[in-house]
Amino acid sequence: MDELTRQRTRAKWDAAAKNFDVMSSRGPEKRWAPYKREFFSAMRGRILFLAVGTGLDIQFFPPNCQIVGIDISPKMLEQARARADAYPGKLELREMDVHALEFPAASFDQVFTSCTFCSVPDPVGGLESLRRVLVPGGELHMFEHTGSRYFPFNLMLNIMTPLARRFGPDMNRPTVANVERAGFRIRDVRHVYLDVVKAIVAEAPASTAG
Amino acid sequence: MERRPYFVFGDVLTSVGSGGLAGLVCAAVIGTGWNMWLGMLVGMALGMALAMVLSFACLLVLFGAMEVMLPSMLSGMLAGMVVGMAAPMGELPAAKGALMGALIGVGVMLFNYAMDAYLSRRASPWTS
Ligand SMILES: C[S@@+](CC[C@H](N)C(=O)[O-])C[C@H]1O[C@@H](n2cnc3c(N)ncnc32)[C@H](O)[C@@H]1O
Repeated sequence: MDELTRQRTRAKWDAAAKNFDVMSSRGPEKRWAPYKREFFSAMRGRILFLAVGTGLDIQFFPPNCQIVGIDISPKMLEQARARADAYPGKLELREMDVHALEFPAASFDQVFTSCTFCSVPDPVGGLESLRRVLVPGGELHMFEHTGSRYFPFNLMLNIMTPLARRFGPDMNRPTVANVERAGFRIRDVRHVYLDVVKAIVAEAPASTAG
Repeated sequence: MERRPYFVFGDVLTSVGSGGLAGLVCAAVIGTGWNMWLGMLVGMALGMALAMVLSFACLLVLFGAMEVMLPSMLSGMLAGMVVGMAAPMGELPAAKGALMGALIGVGVMLFNYAMDAYLSRRASPWTS
């Protein structure tokens, strides 16, 4: 990802940080709470969490995990700090772009993402970076909203995307296909709402070559 | 499929409110002198825009994200389309437009619930 795109992405999410909790902390998070609790209950070993945002997901992490949480936006991380400090386990926050991860290869057993690959500018590139830092056979767990295969939902999501993208996420990304394009093997896809909000579990190849 | 009463109530409010608002405004704006097809197109665009405003102004914060946006925009668009076509064909009071829109909202909600029940099973990997 080039430097200009990185700066624009950071500026967009820095701007969104101010009102993020107002928009997301009640309706969406309460609605998704039972699904997210179950989703994050699979956390084990050394974990990379992308992207932290204001830390709304931290309440769903099981205790005593060893997690590194990253986000491109310093303003988001600033708001996440108190929630991270209150987490009963090891949770380190770092400002980092998923396209340029500063971790050696095979640093993590698992990667978790939550409503992230609607926002990352180069999704396949970002997923390839995640694959590099996962151990061979490591797990990728994603809670994401994506495009839909079905009319009229796909029409609505396509109409919304040009506007939504200016202030926040894309609404019509083919995230499951992107995960496969990045070299992961899909293990499970579970629908939370229509075929739009879903939990995806994928596996890095047993050999990191390629 | 959603079963928690608070969110079911929110889903009804979202679809009925968005459809009703779109029907009300479209019936008030689109008159008998209009070309029916123009009425339809304006109704669809206006209905969708109104639904988006309603969602962002209050519904999203209270009841969910995609679960609000999709039915709200769909109800607004369909209500605007139907009322936008009906209004040029004969006198349509705004209250009747609102009622038509609200009923369309109920239909959208039921369709949405049926699709959600069908799709919320474990999905196959090829789903986008
Ligand atoms: C929709 S928010 C989701 C935040 C959080 N996971 C939640 O669900 O509340 C998307 C987040 O992705 C982050 N993000 C976008 N592009 C990124 C990138 N290239 N690298 C790291 N984080 C990124 C944004 O800063 C933002 O915090």
